[in-house]
Amino acid sequence: MEKAVVLKGITKRFPGIVANDRIDLEVEKGEIHAIVGENGAGKSTLMKILAGIYQPDEGEIYIFGKREKINSPGRAIELKIGMVHQHFMLVDRFTVLENIILGAEKSSGIALDEKRCRKAVEELLALYNFSLNLDARVEEISVGQAQRVEILKVLYRGADILVLDEPTAVLAPQEVRELFNNLRRLKSEGKTIIFISHKLEEVLEIADRITVLRRGKVEGTAIPSQVTKEDLARMMVGKPVMMRFDKEPLDVGEVLLSIEDLVVKESSGRPLVNGVSLKIRGGEIYGIAGIEGNGQKELAEAIIGLRTASAGRIRICGRDIADLSIKEIRDLGVAFIPEDRHRQGLVLPMKVWENMMLGYHTKKDFLKGRSLNLKAIRGFTKNKVEEYGVRLSSIEQPIEGLSGGNQQKVILGRELSRGPKVIVASQPTRGLDVGAAEFVHKELLKMRKKGSAILFISADLEEVLSISDRVGVIYNGKITAEFRPEEVTPEDIGVYMLGGEKGAGEAK
Amino acid sequence: MKKGFYIALLRILAPVLAIVLSALISSIVILSIGKSPLQVFYTMFKFSLSRMDSVAIILYNATPLIFSGLAVSVGFRMGLFNIGVEGQYLIGAFFAALAGFSIKGLPAAIHLPLVILCGAVGGMLWAFIPIFLKVKRGVHEVISTIMLNYISYSLIHYLIADLFIDRSQKLIQGLGSILARTPKLSPSAMMPKLHGFLGLFGLQLPRHVYLNWFFPLGILTAALIYYLLMYTPFGFELRAVGQNREAARTAGISPERVYIIGFLLSGALAGLVGLSDLLSYFGYMDMDFPRNYGFDGIAVALIAQNNPFGIIFSAILFGFLKRGAEGIQTLLGVPRETISILQALMIMSIVVITKIMNDYIKRLEKKEEVRLCS
Repeated sequence: MEKAVVLKGITKRFPGIVANDRIDLEVEKGEIHAIVGENGAGKSTLMKILAGIYQPDEGEIYIFGKREKINSPGRAIELKIGMVHQHFMLVDRFTVLENIILGAEKSSGIALDEKRCRKAVEELLALYNFSLNLDARVEEISVGQAQRVEILKVLYRGADILVLDEPTAVLAPQEVRELFNNLRRLKSEGKTIIFISHKLEEVLEIADRITVLRRGKVEGTAIPSQVTKEDLARMMVGKPVMMRFDKEPLDVGEVLLSIEDLVVKESSGRPLVNGVSLKIRGGEIYGIAGIEGNGQKELAEAIIGLRTASAGRIRICGRDIADLSIKEIRDLGVAFIPEDRHRQGLVLPMKVWENMMLGYHTKKDFLKGRSLNLKAIRGFTKNKVEEYGVRLSSIEQPIEGLSGGNQQKVILGRELSRGPKVIVASQPTRGLDVGAAEFVHKELLKMRKKGSAILFISADLEEVLSISDRVGVIYNGKITAEFRPEEVTPEDIGVYMLGGEKGAGEAK
Repeated sequence: MKKGFYIALLRILAPVLAIVLSALISSIVILSIGKSPLQVFYTMFKFSLSRMDSVAIILYNATPLIFSGLAVSVGFRMGLFNIGVEGQYLIGAFFAALAGFSIKGLPAAIHLPLVILCGAVGGMLWAFIPIFLKVKRGVHEVISTIMLNYISYSLIHYLIADLFIDRSQKLIQGLGSILARTPKLSPSAMMPKLHGFLGLFGLQLPRHVYLNWFFPLGILTAALIYYLLMYTPFGFELRAVGQNREAARTAGISPERVYIIGFLLSGALAGLVGLSDLLSYFGYMDMDFPRNYGFDGIAVALIAQNNPFGIIFSAILFGFLKRGAEGIQTLLGVPRETISILQALMIMSIVVITKIMNDYIKRLEKKEEVRLCS
């Protein structure tokens, strides 16, 4: 069998982490090869290397047996590798046909030869049995159809190897059916398909072979008929190495955060959080485990008031927050460590000390009369910088010049130093190196000791299990299981995280 | 610390470089019409700066631009583009004129501040429409303010040529028609010139110079805006919203509230733009009341990179160019449009050069951090 893609020892490092660690992968011509793994396992990095967006630090790439260097997206197209991105890159106002040919138009002289283009695209449609109205505008078509446009785009450019990045994430079930039919058809015409996903049922259904990535390494390759979902889940999640924390015994106080039947909908009306109930007491860390995109972000944002609940109730220290502004909620003693610190946590062009007062700039100790007490704010910043060991050249420096870990320390210093009652920490260690992550854990445990109620959201299962006193698994906007970390096996959680039913893993 | 100084120096250097670059490029334009660039620039400087009254005229030219630059910059600081300063200052000037000619018998100490206040309120009212539409309905402020500029032109036209036209004007020998202008403002509404004050220092200005107390008032306003932006919680909120609205919202700041207050402030400043001309030179509002101060304010704010003190300097620079343009036209027969070209080139080069400079500064800061970490 001819090998379409062979990767040998591919390594890609980013500051602080190794995204791909000596990856070996073989994809045969004409197969559908699935790559699965948790968020952050290195799938996307690997695909970006194939697409010529990133260059590997080490390793070799062979395409159809020839060693190649894919140093640009253009080179990838020359090598007949086509990427279908998760987020569509289409021009809404253009028709389907125009989008497909855009950038690869056939022309007669300087004029666009629309007839020839149309004929070529129609041939593709017929060959692969795609149904699409070429004259519809992209803004009018469904998500599933838009995806077909993306696939046609790469086919039109002559791709033989198609890389699909989580293609089913945006699709409704019947659209997934149709996509799979299309993919089978492509396969029967000899195309090679690399299919990235973390939905195990789908992968088991469509793939010929499955490679599991975990923490940047290849965990193994399996054939669907020989493995079960549980096997794959175990490979994906691994055996959590519990980090050891000096955790004080649990000394819980009153319920500080209580959520009852919370529903949060996106503007289209689809529920993102769908009936979550939980109670967190002072001195307790409640961990939310789950694959990203199952409602964690929205849950966190509802608590801080960034999103409004369509149903249910959130109470902070007994106070219903339904009609409170974000500022009023914060004034109740809620600290928020946002998932996306660049977008929500910091004003990047502003100075370090300015970021240190963001949201707390109207607190009495930061004011002198009606003006800012710059001396006090700078002093506070200097203290925190020293206490947390933030590395910077000056607190007058724009915070964008700091590394991720140091930026996060500034956020922690800001959010945790006013004795918050409730802390919502959404992926607080994402993108941080080990040292900085450890620092975040330690600070949160300190706050636990001081009696804060902490909601800890993370896609990293080991982290959640290690730090939390109780863990809830979130799937599709629902908490599908809840347990104490010590009374559960990783397999159980893996199954829940991937949408398994209660009982499948026999959680105690 | 040494590096911090270096970076600050680069920041100041950026506009200077832009001015030099644009002067170089406009030299080509001057050469193409067969004049010597050196002679043109020399004449500009000599004509503008060799006499005290000319310097005073430059400052008089700069006065409205200080206010309009500040008005635009307040918008920019919160990430909004107030193109409507143009309309806001015309409406503000009319409000001030109205208070100036319709109220009689007040002492100047009350009347003049009242007139100035009316100017600010007029600008504020005109600014309220676009910001209300933006916050409540999501109407983009660029579109609505441009449209409101046109409406304000026509409205002003109607108000001064019809509704409030001065019908007491005497016609020369009963011929022709009366001028389309408002009645004259009461003397108590007029802003005193700086002549008396400067006279104390032995500086004598001739009567044809209209430099008045709005110039120092403009500098004071710039200082107040600087204080507001850098030293008050609201100024901080305004800047935070401008640079990252989502983070500001997450921190509990309401961007909508900041937008409304900030835009009204911008409108109030805009309302003061026309007052130096109205309350010292004209004394009434007519169809020839100066236009384009609002648009020039955008350029002034851009060159100053929205720094209030920078705005004073860039307004004076524009005042100088205007004066210099008169000079080269009268003395050398070089069309004053040459100066328009120079101004346009300056704006373009400042945008390009500050971008390059800021990227360079950012890289310097990054490098420093890497050094610290290793």
